Amino acid sequence: MRPDLMPLSRAQRLALTAASFLFLVIATMALGPLIAGSGWWWLCAFIAAGTLFSGFGLRSIRTPPSLVPVLELVVLLLMLTLLFGGGTSIALVVPTAGTFETFGELMAGAQRTIEQQSVPAVPVPPLTFALAVGTGLLAVVVDILVQTARMPALAAAPALVPVLIPGFIIEAGADVPTLVLTAAAYLLLLRVDVRVRRRARLAAGEEGDQAATVIAPKRVPIVSTFGASLGLAAVGLLAASVLAASTPSVSTSLLLGSPSQGTLFARGVSPFIDLGRDLRRPEPLPAFHYFARDGDRPYFTLLTLDRFEGEVWAPTERAVDGDNTVDQMPRPDGLSSAVETSEHPIDVVVDEVRTTWLPVPYPAARIEGLKGSWFWDDGSLTVRSVDTNTGGQSYQVTRLEVEPTPQQLRAADREFDDELASFLDLPDEMPAIIGETAAAITASAASPYDAAVAIQAYLRGSEFDYSTEAPVEDGYDGGGFDVIATFLETKAGYCVHFASTMAVLARESGIPSRISIGYTQGSPTDERVDGVLRIEVDTHDLHAWPELYFEGVGWVPFEPTPGRGTVPGYSRPGAGEEGAPPLASTPATGPGSTGRPDIDPDTGLAGPVVDPVATATQLWIRTGVVALVVAVLLLVPAAFRLSRRLARVRRIRHGERPADAAWDELAATAVDLGVGGSGGETPREFAARLTGREAFGDAAARAAVVRLRDAVERERYGPDGAGTPSAAASASLVDDLATARAALLADAVGAERARAILMPPSLVDGVRRVLGGRIARGA
Amino acid sequence: MSEAAVTVGGTGTPDAPDVVMGIDEVGSRAAAVVQNVETVIAGKRDAVTAALTVLLAEGHLLIEDVPGVGKTMLAKALARSVDCSVSRIQFTPDLLPSDVTGVSVFDQASRRFEFKRGPVFANIVIGDEINRASPKTQSALLECMEERQVTADGTTYVLDLPFTVVATQNPVEMEGTYPLPEAQRDRFMARISMGYPSPADELAMLSTRETSSPLERLATVVTLGELRAMIAAVQHVFTSQPVKEYAVELARATRDDRQLRLGASPRATLQLIRAAKAHAAMHGRDFVLPDDVDALAVPVLAHRLVPTSRAVGAHDRDSGPLIDAIVRRIVGETPVPVGSARRI
Repeated sequence: MRPDLMPLSRAQRLALTAASFLFLVIATMALGPLIAGSGWWWLCAFIAAGTLFSGFGLRSIRTPPSLVPVLELVVLLLMLTLLFGGGTSIALVVPTAGTFETFGELMAGAQRTIEQQSVPAVPVPPLTFALAVGTGLLAVVVDILVQTARMPALAAAPALVPVLIPGFIIEAGADVPTLVLTAAAYLLLLRVDVRVRRRARLAAGEEGDQAATVIAPKRVPIVSTFGASLGLAAVGLLAASVLAASTPSVSTSLLLGSPSQGTLFARGVSPFIDLGRDLRRPEPLPAFHYFARDGDRPYFTLLTLDRFEGEVWAPTERAVDGDNTVDQMPRPDGLSSAVETSEHPIDVVVDEVRTTWLPVPYPAARIEGLKGSWFWDDGSLTVRSVDTNTGGQSYQVTRLEVEPTPQQLRAADREFDDELASFLDLPDEMPAIIGETAAAITASAASPYDAAVAIQAYLRGSEFDYSTEAPVEDGYDGGGFDVIATFLETKAGYCVHFASTMAVLARESGIPSRISIGYTQGSPTDERVDGVLRIEVDTHDLHAWPELYFEGVGWVPFEPTPGRGTVPGYSRPGAGEEGAPPLASTPATGPGSTGRPDIDPDTGLAGPVVDPVATATQLWIRTGVVALVVAVLLLVPAAFRLSRRLARVRRIRHGERPADAAWDELAATAVDLGVGGSGGETPREFAARLTGREAFGDAAARAAVVRLRDAVERERYGPDGAGTPSAAASASLVDDLATARAALLADAVGAERARAILMPPSLVDGVRRVLGGRIARGA
Repeated sequence: MSEAAVTVGGTGTPDAPDVVMGIDEVGSRAAAVVQNVETVIAGKRDAVTAALTVLLAEGHLLIEDVPGVGKTMLAKALARSVDCSVSRIQFTPDLLPSDVTGVSVFDQASRRFEFKRGPVFANIVIGDEINRASPKTQSALLECMEERQVTADGTTYVLDLPFTVVATQNPVEMEGTYPLPEAQRDRFMARISMGYPSPADELAMLSTRETSSPLERLATVVTLGELRAMIAAVQHVFTSQPVKEYAVELARATRDDRQLRLGASPRATLQLIRAAKAHAAMHGRDFVLPDDVDALAVPVLAHRLVPTSRAVGAHDRDSGPLIDAIVRRIVGETPVPVGSARRI
């Protein structure tokens, strides 16, 4: 019996298990830069510990080795049920069909959250679930490699997964200290394994180090040292860092969602596509409906565009902050206590709209009753989810109604915080008409507020038509400068033009502005529930409107689009004049109230919007890249094995001792296929064993093995072994090797062949030989 | 075929062989001998091969087994297949040393003492039941085996070459025996045991030997000169450094083994390599393989080793001889050398 296959004692197994555990949890730390907080890591550690130590326990009670991984998977399932199963389990740990449904939802949520969250990601339950599953599976693989296959050096391969992932997502890759720690843990694992092997070998009666000094035997005892382990670890980590460094082009956008492309609704509604598409829809689809006890009928904001770059309005990319939970939302920016506010609860039930952005009035105080993880964005207070969408949601949002008086607005300071400077940004090159118009409209305005009212009044004036027909030049349906200039000349357009024009004119007049996308207040129905009117919002209510900032009041919506939505009372001309009470907002009436445009507004305010086909293509590309990376990682051992084979063939053709190389390759192939011999086996015995196999019933294959055997025997032990063979002899060796290998491979079943190619055990033997050989010579 | 002369006071170096023999020829002749012997000893190829190996390696063979399994028959058949002189000594407790080596008698006619050669003066000497003789007589034979000469009355008589003793021995626990001490067992190159024939072989034997001894019909297939040429060829078989190291490693392993009280001597290592050379030559090979060493490890090493009493106590007798098992284990555990090639 080979010493290294001797059954291990319980203490040795425990040491190996502990070292594997340490290695895995330290490797998992490499994910740190990607995920906020540390709770997820403790979860991973718990899962890894549960899986690995259950494996230890199972082996201690002499469970058959082939059963251990299966039972470890069962333990993993029980742990996942305990942690994530919720009320669907029996006795907390036994999964039911409902548990698996929950798991499926969690996995789907994890996919969404990975696509939509930016770094560092909030560890929402679906994400932690995915981490737990991944860690558990890695633990099982590591356990198989370390304990069952006794090839701990290969444990580096699964551990590379968490180590490499940061390299794909953030340019800096994993932290250097984490990499160093991982290397150290890897060394420890190898060290423990070496000690275990040595102990086993001593127990088998060999004498330790001397055994390696006699000759270079076929089975070199593992007399590894720290240095040798270090070398191996260094190679592994170098490979890892090279891999990580060589893939910077695989950027965040490919693996995570890509907010940079303006596809805020990467998998759902793209606001401007749908703005146009839904407005064109002959029959509107119900988006959602709501019940407002107080008769409150606000606009519902989905998202806010605040960056104007000349051609495109775009949102500012912001990472989701895990602390921004919607149960308590902050007071809106710039709102002072002097302004009167009131809270109005609104019950919203989502019908058809599917987006990761929640329709919420601005500003909202809190939202309750949501499923999944939803977070508010700093500044815009828009609400988005990282793991789910609006589908099937029903929630109560408490709207904070801000009721500024015109006096308060008029009194707003012209000086702003630096933070707001970006809301005044306009590109340098600007069509003259914009500046001229702004100057003309606001010439008599005494305050920013007056200027804003003037701009709104100008755009709502009789000169402007709500029209979707003229002008019809190419590119008109954008929000860029050229479009705005054309719009100001032709004085016709629809909401995106009015909103973007007002926002630009406001900026030109020194008022911070942004554009909100969302829904107007919708249409009341006859239906009442508990006496509360049901109000339906459909796809025709999609809308864009500007919001302007006034110090002390905050962001205030305006409605420059004639015939759409509601004109806020404070924004009406003459509001706040002497004695006049704050005017109530007036819903628009008239034929244009649905605002349905007749032309195709598919390319809207945000400039180049994303074609859904392109989005799907990107998804495929992203999946493809991930699959490619995984495939490349899986193929690394195969590549090493192939390179060794080619090196041996070169040696057969050109090197010294060609038969030796041929025989090595044949023996390595046998090892790969699980029919390798022990170190005490001579070439003759090995050949006899091979030719006894079924596939060698063919005389040619048998003869090839015998010729190879004779050649290697003569070379190793014959009187003229060191002589250089002829080219013909070398060629025949290559042929014989090919014949014999083919027979060996033909003898194996598919799974064995796949393992031989993907996870060739002969590589491990090679590493052992290199380590042992070096030490033997140095001893 | 000329008889080699007895050289009184000679050096004992072997005479030059009459014919020069290639290694392939050695192989085919050896195969012929084995085949010939097997016509009378059916189903005992290992024993026959071992015996011929010892003969070619100029060693001595100890056959240890219960009476009646063909020990003597093997020795005789081997001797008859090779055209050489054979003598047989039946050892008994009252056998004297001079009964083995020879005795000086007074010749009345010439009025001087004349040395009468004993049965040891033959190419193959069959010593039957060597452990029944007194230690003194045993020692006389063993001295001849080691020195390949006989000294009587101050005169040294060199023995004719080749000289091989094939001694048979009953298991030591039988009555009326003087077991060979370890030091003397060490003089034998190899020890084999015959074992009982298979029922089929035993049945065949009954029919072939019903009327007469098959030995009488046994033909000679190798002449004495050819035998010498074969021995010379064996001496030229190449032994590579890795194989020598392997033999040394095996011997070292027996000395360090926990189950052994006495390991193999350096003489054992030497004889192991000599026997391996003969084994290689018999297979038509001009160099020694680790396989040759492996094949001979049990016959050459086993009878020299002494197990610890603890190992004996723990041994399961049904699984064959303890020592053989230990040697096979050591062979299995000792790494086979691959030479000094650069590994990839």
